[in-house]
Amino acid sequence: MLSYAARRVVLLVPVLLGATVVVFVLIHLIPGDPAGALLGPTSSDAARAALRANLGLDQPLPVQYGKWLWQVVHLDLGTSIARRQPVASIVWEAFQHTLVLAAMAAVLANVVGLFLGIIAATRQFGIADRSAMGVAALGTAVPSYWLGLILVVLLALKVQLFPTGGMTSAIDGGSPGDILWHLVLPAVAAGAAPAGIVARTVRASVLEVLRLDFVQALRARGLSESTILFHHILPNALPAILTVMGLQAGYLLGGVAFVEVVFSWPGIGNLLFLSIGQRDYPVILGVMLFVSFVFVLLNLAVDLMHAALDPRVRTSVTG
Amino acid sequence: MISAAGPTAAELRGPAGEAGLAAPGTLRALWTRFQHDRLATAALALLGLIVLICIAAPLTSPHDPLATEAVNRLAPPGSPGHLLGTDGEGRDMLSRLIWGGRTSLVTGVAPVLIGLLVGGLLGLVAGYYGGLTRTVILRAVDVLFAFPAVLLAIGIAVTLGPGTSHVIIALAVVLVPSVARVTESATISACSQEYIEAAKASGVHDASIVLYQLVSNVASAPLAYCFSIIGPVIVFAAGLNFLGLGIQPPDPEWGSMLYGLQSSLLVAPLTSIVPGIPIALAALLLDVIGNAVRDVLDPRLA
Repeated sequence: MLSYAARRVVLLVPVLLGATVVVFVLIHLIPGDPAGALLGPTSSDAARAALRANLGLDQPLPVQYGKWLWQVVHLDLGTSIARRQPVASIVWEAFQHTLVLAAMAAVLANVVGLFLGIIAATRQFGIADRSAMGVAALGTAVPSYWLGLILVVLLALKVQLFPTGGMTSAIDGGSPGDILWHLVLPAVAAGAAPAGIVARTVRASVLEVLRLDFVQALRARGLSESTILFHHILPNALPAILTVMGLQAGYLLGGVAFVEVVFSWPGIGNLLFLSIGQRDYPVILGVMLFVSFVFVLLNLAVDLMHAALDPRVRTSVTG
Repeated sequence: MISAAGPTAAELRGPAGEAGLAAPGTLRALWTRFQHDRLATAALALLGLIVLICIAAPLTSPHDPLATEAVNRLAPPGSPGHLLGTDGEGRDMLSRLIWGGRTSLVTGVAPVLIGLLVGGLLGLVAGYYGGLTRTVILRAVDVLFAFPAVLLAIGIAVTLGPGTSHVIIALAVVLVPSVARVTESATISACSQEYIEAAKASGVHDASIVLYQLVSNVASAPLAYCFSIIGPVIVFAAGLNFLGLGIQPPDPEWGSMLYGLQSSLLVAPLTSIVPGIPIALAALLLDVIGNAVRDVLDPRLA
């Protein structure tokens, strides 16, 4: 297991370097002068010339990449055009908010998905199965940003049960109860699609184990259905289920972006949205770079967890 | 069905990719089995109707989608002359949804087709040649997997600037890696079959082996995958338009209409929510159809 983990960590290095190359290429895809794009339209000629020299824009691309990478390694992601603050601190602040929302949505999605999936699998082809899978299909098909708007109309405007937004800072200030209150609607909107996917995976994995001979043997020995389900079937279906759950949590890191815009939740999605309007390229690229690193580490954690639970995975390192 | 030495006459007649999936007779049998699923058949008919209405927008749209009516702003659905009401500028919602559907459907389907072509080709080459070629392609694919899909698409679309074609490119780049992986693993398992070895031994060109033997036998996996993601990609594409990427006002598109009406949520909640209905409906119908198609192709799962 240790050598598998070590190999996976080593394989991470080229992927992370590749991610920096992608972001570097994107900087150069911006139409016009990168220095102008990174400093904004109001920047002085002197400032542009200084950045051009600093980035080495007159030098060959590999040298430019090296210089830029050196800055990135030192956590220098440049300065925001719109806010005149270091990108790194802006992104970090927003990321914490996204993490809170994504975690809440992931918990909600996994609990609901697990519940629906187990109900559906244990009553295959029954009314409960059909309704649970119908709910799952609705959850995956309904756009999160639209569901968010509907929740706002129904529960925030009509009934005024929850706030429509207005979360300024969940990190400092605000009691846990207040944060939770602001979290409910966005988390439901963001978690609906992953809940549907988890439900389908749980149903399929549980059904697969249900068909195995040992379940028949356990029934023959007179074990109760609930004992068989919770002590024998679920533990066997768990590695596949946990992997999908982990992947959905990773998806949510980007997927909550739409919901953040609807509820003005101050996370990276909302930051991106504001930065698009302001053409704030340093922030946009800083967000991408930062989130890709977190995403890669999260996916590694999911893979290692899968390998720890299912020894067969360890022998087949992806080529 | 397919001879080892080269393409048969029947195979050359049929469309590439489908030849290996099923012979014409088998396709008919699959269609018959699909029709047994009444829900899926109804979904297919409804989706076809929506697509037709959008394609025939000049004929089906009751009003000019850009014509504003200052006195008739934010009319609720069911108003005389405006079946689905009007937006904040007094433009007819139904007409805008019909015209906007063209953009929304194209922005959702085109990236999947591009992703299928590019990703499929990369996966085929990686799986067939193996070795260094495979390592290079799979490593490049891994790098694109390092970004959450939503963020990568936003990042690419932003740097390319506004425009529907830029959103299509951004989404296609995001889809290529997963299609490439699906195709690569299908190619590897197909390459271990004896008929490929026989073709190689008899001195057939690499290109013609890939074109005539592999494509037709590998196609079903990436085709099934791509079909299953059309719905989510339509939702995703409308979401990018919702964020202000892609099409620019006043041109209609489902996602950007939804964003444009967000400020009217308090005044006209019903009208403001209408543009989301076709997005969700298209995704739901495609989901129902996709499940039925999968059950028909692989009855063990049903």
